[in-house]
Amino acid sequence: MNFNKPFFQNDEREIIDSLRQQDGKRKKGEELLFTRYAYLIQEAIHKYSLTREDAFNLYSDTMISAIEKIANGSFQGRSSLKTWIYKIFHNKYVDLLRKRTTNKNSINRTASISNLLFQLPDSSKTIIQELVDRTDWEVLRQKLSLISDNCRQMLLLWADGYSDKEIAATLEYKTVDVVKTSRLRCLGKLKQLYKTT
Amino acid sequence: MENNFEYIDNYFGGNLSPDGKKQFEQRIVEDRDFAEEVAFYLSAKQASKEEMISEKKEWFRLLANQPSSIPIRRPVIQVRRLWKYAAVAAVIACIFFAWYLTSVRSASPQQMAKEYIEKNLRTMPVTMGIRKDSTQDGLRLYNDNQLDSSLKLFENIIQRDSSNFSVKNYAGIVYLRLENYDKALAYFQDLEKYTSLYSNPATFYHALTLMKRNQPGDKQQARRLLEQVSKNDLEEKETAQLWLKKKW
Repeated sequence: MNFNKPFFQNDEREIIDSLRQQDGKRKKGEELLFTRYAYLIQEAIHKYSLTREDAFNLYSDTMISAIEKIANGSFQGRSSLKTWIYKIFHNKYVDLLRKRTTNKNSINRTASISNLLFQLPDSSKTIIQELVDRTDWEVLRQKLSLISDNCRQMLLLWADGYSDKEIAATLEYKTVDVVKTSRLRCLGKLKQLYKTT
Repeated sequence: MENNFEYIDNYFGGNLSPDGKKQFEQRIVEDRDFAEEVAFYLSAKQASKEEMISEKKEWFRLLANQPSSIPIRRPVIQVRRLWKYAAVAAVIACIFFAWYLTSVRSASPQQMAKEYIEKNLRTMPVTMGIRKDSTQDGLRLYNDNQLDSSLKLFENIIQRDSSNFSVKNYAGIVYLRLENYDKALAYFQDLEKYTSLYSNPATFYHALTLMKRNQPGDKQQARRLLEQVSKNDLEEKETAQLWLKKKW
């Protein structure tokens, strides 16, 4: 018997398959996942004595993390989807408590940047980390709202882990190459706007 | 510029040969301009990710507010070690009673409503959406204090989609701000029927409107509604409980 073979209920399988689709229908999977376990919001209110807003944010953070992991294949199905979601939910709750006690709101951003930098060797990583630390995030996000809707949408999908193929399907571009060229051009436009501040 | 972005994109996409990767990493150390471009590429991705997350949360909020979309599961209450809870409850009751004796003050319901509106309903959260979104436009107008224009937009949306809970809620709030209490009440009373929403402040807003209107009988009715909010664990339960403790 192969104990490593993932076994899911039908609705769990449907959610996972939707989130792993390459044809731009991921959004449906995200909706299914969100509504499937949304009772956790109520549970957080009662079990962890959170306000509705905090419980909603906790569940939303759980969903964002779960969606990313399922889509990029990090979720290997060693437990049921429900058990795995609950584990993330609990970990996020612990993070929330830690954040409240240490008041470290920049932890998430630092962790996220570190994930992007992991490919670089230490010598170049330090240089890039220092330069990234100088970023004026508020201005950069504001400039992001000034580029065209198409550009912005493309960059957001890219940051969400969509491949160029998925972006092409979602935004109805003809080819992957067009997406790549346009995406890099959008980055160029954003850089120009940012540098003019 | 775009050539470098393509080069950087290829590196982080894992599309360079081992030699190509080494050259890339060496260039970061030797070429400051190039290093800045790599840093910008990563910062732009991070900023886009943060934007994406905030948009996704807003979308989740809409999903959560769709009637019947969320299966309701009541928490299982385990009856065990009751004496511990009883002891904690007794201590809390003592503290609460002491607090009640020292800090309860009389207050005018109209003043409380006015302060609440000033503090909590002056602005609404707006997201920078990818697509053009009339609701967000309406909220922007509302935040710019263009109440009539925002109301027009919200009512147009409601005409097209009479089940849009969030927008009905916004329209009720605008009417309340405009002191058109009858219209505000009509919206909030309608919204009270949506009992399956995960978050529905309509009963509380109904009470708030009556407190602000302050006609004969409004106070008593508002109190009854606030008691409902408190008893049924509805949205703004904490505020309702605080108000109920005051002498009206």
